[in-house]
Amino acid sequence: MTLNYRELDWELIGSVLMLSLIGILLIMSAQYYADSAFERTYFERQLLWLTIAVFVFAGVIHLPLRLLDFSAYLLYGLSIVLLVLVLLVGTPRMGASRWFSFGPINFAPSDFAKLALVLALSRFFAYTKLPPVSKRRLAFSAMLTIIPVALIIKQPDMGTALVFFIILFGLWFWGGLSPVYLALILSPLVSLVAASHWLAWAVYFAVLLVFLFLFRPGFLFGVVMVVANLAFGMITPFVWNRLADYQKLRILTFLDPGRDPRGAGYQIIQSKIAIGSGGIWGKGLLHGSQTRLDFLPERHTDFVFSVLGEEFGLWGSLLVLLLFAFIFYRAVRIAARCRSRFASNLIIGAAAILLFQFFVNIGMTLGFMPVTGLALPFVSYGGTSLVLSWSLIGLIVSAHYHWQEY
Amino acid sequence: MRRFNVPLEHREKINLIVVFIVLLILIGGLAKLQIIEHAGLARQSENNRIRVAPIIPRRGVVVDREGRLIIDNRPSYTVSVVPAEISPDTTLPNLSHLLELDTLQIKEQIHKNMVNRYLPAPVKRDVSFETVAVLEEQSTRYPGVATQVEQVRQYQKGIGAESFTGYVGELSRADLLKEGRDDYRPGSMVGKEGLEKQYDRQLRGQEGTAYKEVSAAGRYLGDYEGKEPVPAVEGADLVLTIDIDLQRICAQVLDTFCCGAVLALDPRNGEVLAMTSYPGYNANIFSSVMPESLWQAISSDSTHPLLNRPLNGLYPPGSIVKFVTIGAALQQGIINENKTLRPCTGGFKYGNRVFRCWNPQGHGSLTAAHALEQSCDVFTYQLGLELGVDGLSWYFSRCGFGRPTGIDLSGESPGLVPSSAYYNKNYGEGQWTPALALNISIGQGELLVTPLQLAQFFCGLANDGIVYQPHIIKLISYTSGKVDTVSSRVSFTLPFSPSTLKVLWEGMRLVVEGKHGTARFLKNERYSLGGKTGTAENPHGENHSWFVGVAPLEAPEIVVCAIVENAGHGSDVAAPVVGKIIARYMEKKSKPAEVALRSAKELQ
Repeated sequence: MTLNYRELDWELIGSVLMLSLIGILLIMSAQYYADSAFERTYFERQLLWLTIAVFVFAGVIHLPLRLLDFSAYLLYGLSIVLLVLVLLVGTPRMGASRWFSFGPINFAPSDFAKLALVLALSRFFAYTKLPPVSKRRLAFSAMLTIIPVALIIKQPDMGTALVFFIILFGLWFWGGLSPVYLALILSPLVSLVAASHWLAWAVYFAVLLVFLFLFRPGFLFGVVMVVANLAFGMITPFVWNRLADYQKLRILTFLDPGRDPRGAGYQIIQSKIAIGSGGIWGKGLLHGSQTRLDFLPERHTDFVFSVLGEEFGLWGSLLVLLLFAFIFYRAVRIAARCRSRFASNLIIGAAAILLFQFFVNIGMTLGFMPVTGLALPFVSYGGTSLVLSWSLIGLIVSAHYHWQEY
Repeated sequence: MRRFNVPLEHREKINLIVVFIVLLILIGGLAKLQIIEHAGLARQSENNRIRVAPIIPRRGVVVDREGRLIIDNRPSYTVSVVPAEISPDTTLPNLSHLLELDTLQIKEQIHKNMVNRYLPAPVKRDVSFETVAVLEEQSTRYPGVATQVEQVRQYQKGIGAESFTGYVGELSRADLLKEGRDDYRPGSMVGKEGLEKQYDRQLRGQEGTAYKEVSAAGRYLGDYEGKEPVPAVEGADLVLTIDIDLQRICAQVLDTFCCGAVLALDPRNGEVLAMTSYPGYNANIFSSVMPESLWQAISSDSTHPLLNRPLNGLYPPGSIVKFVTIGAALQQGIINENKTLRPCTGGFKYGNRVFRCWNPQGHGSLTAAHALEQSCDVFTYQLGLELGVDGLSWYFSRCGFGRPTGIDLSGESPGLVPSSAYYNKNYGEGQWTPALALNISIGQGELLVTPLQLAQFFCGLANDGIVYQPHIIKLISYTSGKVDTVSSRVSFTLPFSPSTLKVLWEGMRLVVEGKHGTARFLKNERYSLGGKTGTAENPHGENHSWFVGVAPLEAPEIVVCAIVENAGHGSDVAAPVVGKIIARYMEKKSKPAEVALRSAKELQ
């Protein structure tokens, strides 16, 4: 398939490329003073990965959208098989088996599964004749989502599992589901959290009932929601006990980082110190003491934004935020313009993944989101994440290029 | 139901609003940290990476009156542990094996000396070079262990100087809290006894502060360039009044006995020329971690090496204090220089008890000076009876007994001068006999003195009744160039008139030069010598042997006081000891070059 390259969305591509290069610069700075030569060359490997990612991106934009549409369920099926396989034969690292290792390359099938779910859900919502609030429509799409989520929770990886739900909710909304319903459907999860204290739960329930009374979404739906909320509230203690210790610790630490400043809260505290001490102008490239002296953990991966905040200050951070904002803005505009519902869904699904990771990751470095292990798209070190993010951009650019097609 | 369906253009708007809200939240979060909380977080970032490390100043050295070293510093290796970096499974067991300390002791040391988790806490000081070599070569077996070169105290050996040098030891966290000293850290070396304690502030100087940059793991990366270090002020050096030549002979002459003490004072100014307590101990061992067994051995030793006898040894003075009794009687007009009392027949009957003279044959009729020459007990008993307990008590107190001399060393004992108030308190009102005065008059009974008090008293006798404050520091020399000179000052005056002093002086002379003098064998042609023997009865064993010598008698320059415990008569044991010391002093005076040469050889 030949493309008229002038018609591609070069502004979007340029923004993404710029973010990726900023990422490489930060990774270099993050490990510039590292003891091992291996760590010092992370940025070189990220550069190699960027090259690969750009090739994959090029591949994606050359694929006919119709082919993706056609093979969506097939790819989805493949992703499920890989997720099962990784549980059986994956390489365990740090208590989780999330990766297939091929020599130096680690491949996380959960990243591929995100892409596959976006395709599958986009296809389903594009062709279903069921109305947005129909039970069968909601149930089927939820099932498509829950199967990979269940497998990923088994790995275990809560952060990634959440991303799948975000894709689902994003596409539910884009498919026409009212935010009121969306809020109600999500309410049992809020109930789960609120039930950690009886008073909070009581208040929450009162609010829920008022909400139901105001919007009257239908009698049966209302009753189901109340029952679901009750049920979720009551299983809170069981869920809590089922969580692994490190997960409990993450939640407790999120609520109060000071409770364990040398342990789990350490990362959050040090990240806040790094970003805050950067001030408006930053300490300058390679001059971030938090970064240079090892205080900042995971500084080339999850906490790469902290390096940015410390060394480039507010202006550098704002630049990155605005680049991201531009990408989301462009994605939404394109999605609304696309004539193909499949392509439109595809864009929203892709953008939802990126937006969620963007928000949770930076929120974590700023100290108001829990430590989930979600990377910052394009910027954090990590090959599969970079390739996946570029693939998602590939889908958006491709949909933009073909916006007139049905 | 329809009303909840949202048209596409609205959905687009809602999506853009969501993006906008997310952006606002993140910008808000950034602004909060980078603008509002910037100052506080920037400070935290600095605190994160800068550690304050003390710069330990050199501790002042101590030299004798001629500038010869008594306490020096020498570099040594200290094994320390950085608590934050140790691995409990390997560090402690391996270190325990290497240092021959059990893991519990190491843990105690760390706890005791820890300032914070990132600064090395000294575990063992003064380890061998071999140990350091092992630590360096096999560093992976000892994670978190660091070796540093530190200065340790080096005490001149073989001169029995511990009685005034004291020693230094580690300051524990508990001591620190107890004493409320904010200029010290746990694990600092501080003076525990003697000069080291008394002049600790001067000797130790002032710690400086270095600012070090550290990594998150607490590893020191080097000096932090943003802040100038505060340099340390080195400790002041002390120049003592001690003369090592004399000090050494003091230690040597006691070497053949069990226990005792020797003191040499200059009566003209109160300077302590030599002072030793025997047996002593090796002050160097306290600088390092002392094994419990060694501490046990020292503290339970029946010869009490830790007892500082010149200042804290409490003994009955025996006949030496006949000078007080006879002086008091002369002063009170009970006798005059020519008066004789009832002749001595070897005993004195009082009530239904006979108080015996040391010479059972008796001394016959004696004048005061001759009573001192022959140390006649009967003569003294009669005066004691006349003076009474309170009369004696008054004169003893005026002669410097029963209270500290005020020497510039800590922990001096006051001794005991009994009075009627004392007896009333201990025995009950009227429940004691005035005959107790007889015992006191010859230096027995409850009367207890320190060797320093006796030496001080004789300084007064030798110096026309004027007693100079005994002191051991000649000057303190600060690194700033400032020098504090300790000037001699008069402490008190003996309660004796010149005529009384003249009689007592004659008594001192006769003890050595008289035909019947108890120390007549000390007489020699080279210089004149006076003094007094003492044989203190000791309920716990053999008599203590005392002698105080004064030379040269016509213009006294030195007073030497010696006690040898459980050794018998004063004339047999202590007198020859003092004789040798005075001989060395006079020899040095006449042939300083020869003595200096010999001394230099011995010091090597």
